[in-house]
Amino acid sequence: MYVLGLSCYYHDSCAVLLKDGVVVAAAQEERFNRDKYSPVFPIQAVNYCFQEAGITIYDVDEVAFYEKMFLKFERTMLSHLSGFPFTLKNFVQTLPLWLKERLAVPYYVEEELRFKKPLWFVKHHLSHAASSYFCSPFPRAAFLTVDGVGEYACASYGVAEGASLKVQKELHYPHSLGLLYSIVTAFLGYRVFSGEGKVMALAELGKPTFEEAFRRVVHVREDGSFRLDLDYFAFNRGEKMHNRRFEELFGPPRAEDSELTERHADIACSLQRLTEDILLKMARHVHRATGERALCLAGGVFLNVTANSRLRNETPFEDIFIQPSSGDAGAALGAAAYVSHTILGAPRAPPLRSCALGGSYTNRQIEVVLRNKRRKYRQLAPGARTAEVADRLAAGQVVGWFQGRMEFGPRALGNRSILAHPGLPEMKDRINKVIKRREPYRPFAASVLREHVEEWFEGVGDSPFMLEVGRLRAAQSGRIPAVTHDNQTTRIQTLTRGENGPYYDVVEAFRARTGLPMVLNTSFNEDEPIVRTPAEALRCFEETGIDCLVMEDLLVER
Amino acid sequence: MNGRRICATCVLPEIRPHIVLDEGGICNLCQDFNRQERTPLLLESDFIRILDKHRGKNKYDCLVMCSGGKDSTAALYFMKERYKLNPLAFTFDHGFETNDAIDNVKRAVEKLDVDFMFFKTNFMKDMFKRLIRSKSKAVICHPCSIWYIKLAYDMAARVQAPMIIAGWTKGQSVKQEVMSACGCNVHQPEYKAMAVETQKFLDEQVADMPKYAGFPRSMDELLKQVKRSGNKAMVLSPHWFLPYGPDEYVKIIQDNVGWQYPAESYPRKSTNCSLNFISVHNSMRDFGYTHYHVEMSKLVREGVMTRDEALKNLDMNFSDKLLDGILGELDLTQKDIR
Repeated sequence: MYVLGLSCYYHDSCAVLLKDGVVVAAAQEERFNRDKYSPVFPIQAVNYCFQEAGITIYDVDEVAFYEKMFLKFERTMLSHLSGFPFTLKNFVQTLPLWLKERLAVPYYVEEELRFKKPLWFVKHHLSHAASSYFCSPFPRAAFLTVDGVGEYACASYGVAEGASLKVQKELHYPHSLGLLYSIVTAFLGYRVFSGEGKVMALAELGKPTFEEAFRRVVHVREDGSFRLDLDYFAFNRGEKMHNRRFEELFGPPRAEDSELTERHADIACSLQRLTEDILLKMARHVHRATGERALCLAGGVFLNVTANSRLRNETPFEDIFIQPSSGDAGAALGAAAYVSHTILGAPRAPPLRSCALGGSYTNRQIEVVLRNKRRKYRQLAPGARTAEVADRLAAGQVVGWFQGRMEFGPRALGNRSILAHPGLPEMKDRINKVIKRREPYRPFAASVLREHVEEWFEGVGDSPFMLEVGRLRAAQSGRIPAVTHDNQTTRIQTLTRGENGPYYDVVEAFRARTGLPMVLNTSFNEDEPIVRTPAEALRCFEETGIDCLVMEDLLVER
Repeated sequence: MNGRRICATCVLPEIRPHIVLDEGGICNLCQDFNRQERTPLLLESDFIRILDKHRGKNKYDCLVMCSGGKDSTAALYFMKERYKLNPLAFTFDHGFETNDAIDNVKRAVEKLDVDFMFFKTNFMKDMFKRLIRSKSKAVICHPCSIWYIKLAYDMAARVQAPMIIAGWTKGQSVKQEVMSACGCNVHQPEYKAMAVETQKFLDEQVADMPKYAGFPRSMDELLKQVKRSGNKAMVLSPHWFLPYGPDEYVKIIQDNVGWQYPAESYPRKSTNCSLNFISVHNSMRDFGYTHYHVEMSKLVREGVMTRDEALKNLDMNFSDKLLDGILGELDLTQKDIR
């Protein structure tokens, strides 16, 4: 039984294919059309999923969509009506999008894919919840979802058991933590969807001097629910989501690419504190309300690694699972999982242990690209490859590492990654400057051998999807400057051989040479979606300062 | 290739004015390809959309031109098994098809349980003979292509098949967004010199042969004739839409329909008729390259194979004895092709 999950027309458009409830392929459309966070119908991703599974649309039993479009349309219209006439301009701008795309999903699915059965529309936050619960190892758990906005809900919680998910409470638009984070992201001069991570990084440089200002804007209750004071916002009323009163509190907005000041860092820091505070209160309330021991998290807000770590360490839950693709791409997975398990009764699948759900390339396919681009390369024996990469990393080289199936979700987890020595003080600046070409304060993550995590970090256990941070132990202080943030934390991916053998072996070989059981790992891209094909990896290698490129067993040098 | 410079990235020789190499030894076709932001994207879902418009409307959903080669056999397999259509397999033998190829077709139609029409004729033999004996530079395969496409259209009209499925690879024919009619590639720079010679031959040498009265003088003319006749059959190839290369689909047809490589072929790993060897010999003599060089160059650009593999496949490896045998069937000798 094949179920296809889809998300599109906002951001992170994506296709996921489940066979008998097990994910067989998943990919975001941005990886194919090279348009970051692409919202278009994920036609190339769908084609990929079918080809990976060796099927066509004729073999697909059901198609699930990640939200209820009419409900969302209703909410949008009511929002426009409530603000009329100030919302008229936005209404006129967005109505064609609704009519041409967002309300025409069944038409596009039939037209583009020739799928003629009715579709399943799963509520947005239920999709998020299902994406986390059905990928988790828990037979029963509480769930908490927080994002920008779905139909009406911006956050929800409930209980999942077996194949059933029951939502207990929702927090409705416009009182949205995700939306607030995006509003401040835009206020600080970053682009919404891509800039939230930058705000999180900036937060580490600031002080929470705007906490009081945020408390005037956001009224938080003890259960974590909150209300935005709409006197400070201008939803649907123009280009900006904040208004003059907001500026009176926080100062003028920062123009894109203008200088960052202490004020900007302080605003980011205060927002981050508020976010963590709300999420902690929510999670503690969910624990009280449900009495569950395990918690499943999903929704774009849970890409906030600092908050995630606090949730693990400062709430009463014994175990937490975070959907690695917790944005809207993951919701497509959740919609498909909900239809597979809850509606069609497929048995629970084994927990998700790896995000390697995208396409892969053979040595021969890579060789064709290299030869036709007239690039010299060397074929390495698998054992020699591990040693070669470890040697080069230990010598301070930056390695483009391309192997196995492409990762699903926002993180490169060792299949489409740029790797480097975490112990070299200049490495962070070098990669930010000549490879990623991005803000100098942006931190890098580390892929750490699981068995060495406790020896190096506090407050982190399993983090296979790079969704949590650990605090560097005092004894290790100063040993890994390239991946240590100013507050002495590191974003961590824990590695086991079972989850990613080739990558684990490289890190283990690196440990044998340097004593450091980790490497710096950043996504293989430069201001574009993560590379998907050997040709894209080669182009990124050629256009940046990466020292060498290893694609499967083939080594390309400068 | 007769001492000509060969493009450093594909396998085409410099043939001015149509194929010109720059200082770096790269041909204008490769340069044009590299300049494209992105090659036109054909997805399998596009193909399915077209197939679904015609599915189940007639006794046969499509007519598959099946020569017994890997590409057309895979096309037949995909139509029946992957797209669940009811195809009519159609094979034509101008007297030079090999037993290996015919056996491949017979095994495939048997295993796939599809209706099969086999048409054998010596109709083209006199034209082939005239072409070779006159020392025309026309490429033997070109009038043959015009003839077999015409046959396919006629047959599709007879059985009311709305689509004609060919096994053309990404290196053959024109890649278009959506095919509304058979794309004709004779206007591409690398074919221009050959197309001119073919048209010249058909205009000058075939006119006095009554049995070929009305034979189209070019593929363009054929397509116009087809359009005028109201024949709306579409010509498509699944290989344009699928990401698989021959390595993948050869394995599929070997496993599922018992397909086998022929004992002898040119280029390597292909299944072409025996007259193809003469055609290749003459193209090398007259142009310094063949239409297979064009096809393989496209496949190299598309990333389906490496340049080295293409060169290896195109290596002339057939014997005088083989040529003698084929020419003998036309009452000709090697003197006629020198």
